[in-house]
Amino acid sequence: MPELTADVVLRKVKAGEKVERADLRGIALPKALLEGVSFRRSDLDGANLEGARLARALFNNASLKEAFLQGADLREANLENADLEGANLSGANLQGANLNRASLEGANLQGADLSRARLTHAQVAAANLGGANLSGALLLHAVLVEADLSTAKLEGADLSNADLAGANLEEANLTNAKMKDARTQGANLKNAIMTGADMMSAAGPGPGKRYFGKGDVLRNAHLEFDSGASVEIESLFEQCTIALGKGTELVVGKSGVLQGCQISGSGLVTIHGKFVEREAPGIAGATQLLVSAGGSLTGVVEQPAEYTRFAFEPGCMLRMKIRQKNNGAGGNSDRPARAGRQR
Amino acid sequence: MSNGRRTLVEEGTQFKGSLSSDCPIEVKGKIEGDLNAPALAVSTSGAVHGKVKVGQIQSEGELAGEFDADVVRLSGTVKDNTVIRAKSLEVKLTPANGKMQVIFGECELEVGSEQQAKETGEKKNSEAPPKPASIRPPEATAGNGAS
Repeated sequence: MPELTADVVLRKVKAGEKVERADLRGIALPKALLEGVSFRRSDLDGANLEGARLARALFNNASLKEAFLQGADLREANLENADLEGANLSGANLQGANLNRASLEGANLQGADLSRARLTHAQVAAANLGGANLSGALLLHAVLVEADLSTAKLEGADLSNADLAGANLEEANLTNAKMKDARTQGANLKNAIMTGADMMSAAGPGPGKRYFGKGDVLRNAHLEFDSGASVEIESLFEQCTIALGKGTELVVGKSGVLQGCQISGSGLVTIHGKFVEREAPGIAGATQLLVSAGGSLTGVVEQPAEYTRFAFEPGCMLRMKIRQKNNGAGGNSDRPARAGRQR
Repeated sequence: MSNGRRTLVEEGTQFKGSLSSDCPIEVKGKIEGDLNAPALAVSTSGAVHGKVKVGQIQSEGELAGEFDADVVRLSGTVKDNTVIRAKSLEVKLTPANGKMQVIFGECELEVGSEQQAKETGEKKNSEAPPKPASIRPPEATAGNGAS
């Protein structure tokens, strides 16, 4: 039994009193009007707060393990350091909420609105954030290991230093998301939208380095990298488009495979792995293209007006056509030479 | 065996027709036509337009047409409508502000095989020579348009 009954809590709230450090385990307050109420350090484990109006409420250091908060209005609520392990927050409105250092391990946040919420250092491992709105949210150093972020909206979210190992980001929208030094080993990025996403990695040797490690799979993604950046891919990219700024260095490592992809822009492209185009031209506008020994390129390369600086190492595999930009002369089809035409 | 012998097409010399030789051919002038030889070297002043089947090509000049070779080392210019088929192709990288190593027109490159690329990747630093390859007969007439 809770220390306070629901009626007592509601009376205290009506009187403008705080409900801090109270034992409220299993209390039932569905759809209750509790805006701005302070529940700091209270124990609300297993409480039923379904659809409750908790905007700007204070839950700092409160325990809400296994609490039922489905559809609750928690806009601008302060949940810093709260324990929400296993809580059900599906469809809850957590816009602008403070969840810094909160524990949300295994919590259900499916379809929740966490736009502009702060989750710095939050523990969100194995949580269900499928379809959640995390636009503009701050997730610095957040632990999202094995979390389900499929179809989640993460536009402009800051995931710097976040741990996304094994997370499911399938069809997530990461447009303009900051992922500096984020750990993405084993994450599923299938069909994720990553336009303008900043994936600078600590694994790289210097500033401006973006690294896609072994085991990552990226499908149907569009990536843009600013001028002067350095990108290394050891992952599998399928049906992706990559836009390079002037002088941007793109290295497809030995383990890297770009299958059905397109690269555009005046970058410096090095292929140690494998590149197969989606449609011609597979590589357009590159100022430099190097295919090393063991590297493989199948596709059409469209040179810029000032020509591409080519380099090929003995042992590379090429099935390529070279053409000039805006020049259809020569009667050549855009189809690359077939890989089957081997001697 | 060539025994040090070579066929030289000197600068200022133009040759039209078929040329078959059992010794390496060095071109400082211009050849238009079919060419068969164990090796072909094209100097910076040289140009070869036509169908070429050789073991090795080392070119610093101008190539146009169809080229079948085991080993190709290129600099200079490759004109439009050129097809190069080779077991191995080498084009060295030059500094960004330096002279272009090779200028490719609209052309086609068929080089190596998936298997070879894999094997070479594994033995990247070994100096093993490429295996000889049979030469597939060219399918189309070579063009020699300008880039």
